[in-house]
Amino acid sequence: MKRQVPLVLCFLFGIVMILTEFSPHSDSQELYKEVGRWYLVITPFAYVIGVMTLVQVHGTRIRRRAEYWQYSYVVFAGMILMVVVGMPTFLNQTPFFQARGISFGLQSPVFEWLFEYVQVPMEATTFSLLAFFIASAAYRAFRARTFEATLLLISALIVMMGNVPIGDYIWNTVMGETPWTDGTSWARQWILDNPNLAARRGIILGVALGVISQSIRIILGIERSYLGGD
Amino acid sequence: MLEKIMNMDRRIVFILAGLAVVIPTLLPVSLPITVSEPTQKLYDYIDALEPGSTLMMAFDYGPSSLAEPEPMAEAVLKHCFDKKVKVVGVTLLIDAVTLADQLMQKVAEEKGAVYGEDYVLLGYRPGGFQVILGMGSEIASIFDNDYAGKPLSEIPMMENITNYEQISLLLDLASGSTVELWITYANAKYDLTIAAGVTGVIVSQMYPYLQTGQLVGLLPGFLGAAQYEKLINSSGKGTAGINTESFVHLLIVGLVIIGNIAYFMTRQRGES
Amino acid sequence: MTVNNRFQLRLGRMPPEPRRRGLKPRLPMGSYSICVHPMLLICLVCGLCAGVAFAQGLAPPTNVTAKDTPNDDGKSITLTWDAAAEDSGITVYQILRGTTPETLAEIGALDSAEKPTYVDASVETGIDYVYVVRAVSKTEATEETADSEITEPVQATGQWFHTGKIPLFCAMLIFSAAIVGNIYYARSGKEIFVRRIPGLEAVDEALGRATEMGRSILYVLGLGGVSDPATIASMTILGQVARQTADYETPLRVPCNDPIVLNVVREMVKTAYLNEGRPDAYTEENIFFLTDSQFAYAAGVDGIMIREKPAAVFLQGTFYAESLILAETGNSIGAIQIAGTTSEHQLPFFIAACDYTLIGEELYAATAYLSKEPMFLGSLRGQDWGKVIIFGVLVLGLVLEPLGINWVTTFLQKVVN
Repeated sequence: MKRQVPLVLCFLFGIVMILTEFSPHSDSQELYKEVGRWYLVITPFAYVIGVMTLVQVHGTRIRRRAEYWQYSYVVFAGMILMVVVGMPTFLNQTPFFQARGISFGLQSPVFEWLFEYVQVPMEATTFSLLAFFIASAAYRAFRARTFEATLLLISALIVMMGNVPIGDYIWNTVMGETPWTDGTSWARQWILDNPNLAARRGIILGVALGVISQSIRIILGIERSYLGGD
Repeated sequence: MLEKIMNMDRRIVFILAGLAVVIPTLLPVSLPITVSEPTQKLYDYIDALEPGSTLMMAFDYGPSSLAEPEPMAEAVLKHCFDKKVKVVGVTLLIDAVTLADQLMQKVAEEKGAVYGEDYVLLGYRPGGFQVILGMGSEIASIFDNDYAGKPLSEIPMMENITNYEQISLLLDLASGSTVELWITYANAKYDLTIAAGVTGVIVSQMYPYLQTGQLVGLLPGFLGAAQYEKLINSSGKGTAGINTESFVHLLIVGLVIIGNIAYFMTRQRGES
Repeated sequence: MTVNNRFQLRLGRMPPEPRRRGLKPRLPMGSYSICVHPMLLICLVCGLCAGVAFAQGLAPPTNVTAKDTPNDDGKSITLTWDAAAEDSGITVYQILRGTTPETLAEIGALDSAEKPTYVDASVETGIDYVYVVRAVSKTEATEETADSEITEPVQATGQWFHTGKIPLFCAMLIFSAAIVGNIYYARSGKEIFVRRIPGLEAVDEALGRATEMGRSILYVLGLGGVSDPATIASMTILGQVARQTADYETPLRVPCNDPIVLNVVREMVKTAYLNEGRPDAYTEENIFFLTDSQFAYAAGVDGIMIREKPAAVFLQGTFYAESLILAETGNSIGAIQIAGTTSEHQLPFFIAACDYTLIGEELYAATAYLSKEPMFLGSLRGQDWGKVIIFGVLVLGLVLEPLGINWVTTFLQKVVN
């Protein structure tokens, strides 16, 4: 029973949602929107579950004095601080906080400061690691070991140079006397528009068929991993 | 020695990459920028909009990746305000709301745009594609008030903007997969005209949509921001960024060439 | 009263009598019935004068028809009329609508340069509406108008099936039939060949290595939610991996990015351990929620890699810009890495930094490959049939198009649109 009810629901909603794609009738579209509204209602609950598991995991770490348990306090401190500063907007109407010029919510100066000077730099720092990792991965991976690898290497170099103005600058300096200007960015665009697009379309077609196949398996109840096991 | 070059410690690569960013940032250089066709198309589309038309700008990037989409957003906002095109800001990512608010305010102050008359920031609602679908029927059914909590009915600019029918163009500034969501649900279902500005990492993913016409224009990473800045004659962070990026690309190309020379020399020695 | 109304009067052009509801014949709004108007003589004189003046003037829109818009939700009516000649002088068409001829009022306008079609999307379902299209010729000094005849009453109704989507429906049925047919084929016990996928062959090697080294296995499901097909495929692979880690007693660590995925994964790994008879080896804390923020998640997973140095790292699911940050860190600690994603833009990063990579649809094939279940294998065969069909149609289109036969192209365009 624990498995059958979700399977039946999945089958019914799966079929109905497919049919709504082919039915423009207002009742059909209203059903589609209604299911969407349910989804919108469910989403915030997922965040509640997320916060609960976060508290559970880090609470356990502190209780058991697991390795690096001290950092779990930092998690709690950060979470509580952002919630206290960002959420209770109803307090903005109280005379006590109004008199002291203290405000809460996403537009409060404290929240904005925390966002701008803590969250933004931290996230941007992690993202910027990508540049370093791309450099090291490219250095290691781009070796002309085979014919195919050589083709990949040459196209990568062209696209890399075509993506920045220095590519055309070098080209125009070297080939300045010829009628062919901006050759690097032209070559880059050609690679992106032709070989890149062809390969990508092939992969997209395969993925799309994979999605169709998996969706049919889920609707028919053959694939049950989303229910948490066999 | 050759072996050492071939298996260069990644930390040396990191230091070189760091220097390639820091030095051009401290000693700025100016390189000529060529405007690519996808950027030109977006510029032409916006430039052809009648004053009073509405552009919806989706700020779908987080603090981590703002370096690339933010200069694009700034350049397009400047263009819109100059052309008297109204802008409706929206986002599918909660992190982006504050970023969008700060940027819109900054550009509006510079261009003398008035909140509620020339631009509005609706903010964020959870649900991803459901938000896109919902706005297609009625914007107010998803956003009953703006980012600051003001009911849409009290915002003069939103009086005549009820759904996508009054939106001339949606520009999605993205660092993830939101462009596909907008194409699937807003373009395919509601025929909304869409353009995108994306980070360099995902640019190549956009080309199939550009070729099919599902995207009317595309700003590719820093390059796109720099190109748009050139088109509106307002050099900014995009131009500075692409000049710096040029040297990093040059470094990687140089390293790859050195690595391959070392590889071939090692192989030749092995054969002999 | 407009000049042209008088012109109509003079020629005796009256709107046709409405055939339903017993309506009296009336002129369009703004006009007056001859029998009741006290200014008849003045009108007649003016009309005659104007008639002479504008004998070559504005002509009313002809063949105006109002029909229920096909394939919609019953909220619109489409008006069409004949395009006027270029030198007609018409600058704009005004659209007038009412539930009866007496209630006609302007609801919109259309530039004369545009296609003479107007979709009225502000109607209510099941109510009769009549329309008049008014041609307007406007200059700085004068404004002339000419009204069309009143249309027949028309109602907007919703359709249950979008006939324009028949090609898409057919395509869906064909692909579904190919997959379902092959599932039945596989169930009959016939053997199905699956080509070797190195990335999946390496799963045993990775698990064996981790067990030998006494280190953990790190399984990363990516940033997709529970409704993401790639995440579901990844969870299925995780189920297979968990069976083996239960046997080998190798610690399995799964940091999650989505709280719903977390709960499903916990249940799934628990079931796998139970099925293998090792519920005691299951540790719930090893499957945990990290954060839903993309780069905070990447930083968290990198931290785990650096601190715990897992022997094997699985990166399976949907990834974005964090893919290389994860894969390069895994590479730096010397872990054997098996990646798989349908995010084709991240594939180059995984190929550069990981030992094995499942490319695109290989991720979906993994379930069948690892489990060898006939029904999964059957669906895999159905996918291949789908590819053969697409390939066949494309080749057919390529052959027929140069010969001037374009029904294949038209069909494909209809599927897409």
